[in-house]
Amino acid sequence: MQRFLNRILSYRASFTLIVFILLLIFFEIFSAEHSFFKPANLTAMARLAPDLGIVSLGVGTLMIAGEFDLSVSSTIPLCSFVFTKLLGWGFPLIAILFITIFTGALIGFSNGIMVVKTKLPSFIITLGTMLFWRGLVYAASRMMPIGIRSWLDFGTWLEKLFVGAIGGELPIQILWFIFFAIVLGAFVHFHRFGNWIFVTGDNETAARAMGINTGMVKTVCYVMVGVLCSFMGMMQNLRIESFAANQGVGFELKAIASSVVGGTALTGGIGSVLGIFLGTLTIQIIENGLILMGAPPFGISAFIGAAIVIFAILNVSIARKSGR
Amino acid sequence: MSDQKSTARDSGTTLPKGNDTPLVKMVDIHKWFGKVCALRNIDFHVNRGEIVGLVGDNGAGKSTLIKILSGFHHADRGEIFFEGKKENINTPKIAKRLGIETVYQEQALAPHVSISRNVFMGREPTKSFGFMNRKMMDKESMGAITKLGLRIKDPEAAVEALSGGQRQGVAIARVMYFKAKLVILDEPTMALSVKESRQVMDFMQQLKAEGISVIFITHNIFHAFQAAERFFILSHGEALTDVKKKDTTIDHLIEFIVSGGQEME
Repeated sequence: MQRFLNRILSYRASFTLIVFILLLIFFEIFSAEHSFFKPANLTAMARLAPDLGIVSLGVGTLMIAGEFDLSVSSTIPLCSFVFTKLLGWGFPLIAILFITIFTGALIGFSNGIMVVKTKLPSFIITLGTMLFWRGLVYAASRMMPIGIRSWLDFGTWLEKLFVGAIGGELPIQILWFIFFAIVLGAFVHFHRFGNWIFVTGDNETAARAMGINTGMVKTVCYVMVGVLCSFMGMMQNLRIESFAANQGVGFELKAIASSVVGGTALTGGIGSVLGIFLGTLTIQIIENGLILMGAPPFGISAFIGAAIVIFAILNVSIARKSGR
Repeated sequence: MSDQKSTARDSGTTLPKGNDTPLVKMVDIHKWFGKVCALRNIDFHVNRGEIVGLVGDNGAGKSTLIKILSGFHHADRGEIFFEGKKENINTPKIAKRLGIETVYQEQALAPHVSISRNVFMGREPTKSFGFMNRKMMDKESMGAITKLGLRIKDPEAAVEALSGGQRQGVAIARVMYFKAKLVILDEPTMALSVKESRQVMDFMQQLKAEGISVIFITHNIFHAFQAAERFFILSHGEALTDVKKKDTTIDHLIEFIVSGGQEME
């Protein structure tokens, strides 16, 4: 029994899971009128959490490979802007979908190439690209939101695909989040490329000595992040029915926070997709739960910040205790 | 180089003991890094199933020599013959394909990744669509490790949970599994305890028993003397001597190195 418990707990995500369940119980008890588990609240969370979640899956996986991408917070509005413009120009919806995703992929690719070729810290490179792309978006849009309703009729397949509701109730966004988590999880943990991601982040020299093309591994991860950002940018755009220049603000750090809360190490080589999935939900339910409890909205960051620090400390101390 | 032609190509059959085609022969190797000459006039060979101690102080050129052999560097002048055939070892992949494997000290394994995944790093056996065959990985990695004499039970254990000697063992089991013909151990006993060093030297004997040749790089002349049958000593990029253990003593060897090549039997 002891060995079984040790084995389960040795997965860093299991700790996040335990806390997640505890938080659910806590907020159900303490929220005003026990509104936490009410359908209206759950539906709202299911619609909103995937925004951060989908991006975090990408950012966290890249962190396992040992690199950062801060530019996500700019790729999101950029892709949203491209999407909006294409709608305005009357392109066929299917073309708009592919062009927008391709834009995200291209931005991701440029990040990847820069990081790999310059061998400079990705934190710095993507900080630069984040500012660069955001500057372009601000200039091109003049910081003005652009509504899309005039170009997009209600009930198109594109809208249903991204922001529809199954059975009128279940937001499709949460299904997308779960879908990406499953696909990425299978890939990262069971595919050989996933092994390359882990060893690239854990000991790049060893990986290269064994013939793994670590530059290619990292670039693929960056492209994947770009694609997920473009997806999320469209999803959010269709939900709020407009492009907004402040889309994605703060996501770069929140995505990293979700990953850390989910057990991903900042140094690379350690982490799990399940952990990132739960980490995002944990952060979202803390935000949501505190609002329902009537906590002052501006004070919520303090709780999120405290949660991140506590999780980071706990992850390290568990790792030390189990001798890993 | 002319004597190479007379030994001709390996006819494909394994020649019995006593065959004297060296497994690898490096002839007249020179290497410059910019203006600095790292290696000059190096003639170095390793016979089948032989353990050669490559000895020299820092800057002697040991790392450069084996990096040329394992495809990380390209010699500026000179040739390499493997199993009697001239080879252009331009990349690490080519070296690996020939059966030349290097085990670096800290750089061989990923600490937080399991033993099984470490052994198959970059060469993972797959089922369909590239998904790893983990059962096979676990079984084969444990098999290779046990064969070496290591007593590790759990293929899922992270490498960082192992001792220094065990880690070297995993790295060596890996090269054995992938049918290395020549294993280069780069300072394997540095930072290891007496017991662990002994463990590594036992691994080297295991490799020899499998017919695998070993180049054992070290500063530690005592370890070299214990483990190797022959010593190739480098100093400032040049070969000082190439002598069999039975033709010398440890004291002679030390005197020779310390005097920079003046004193020899």
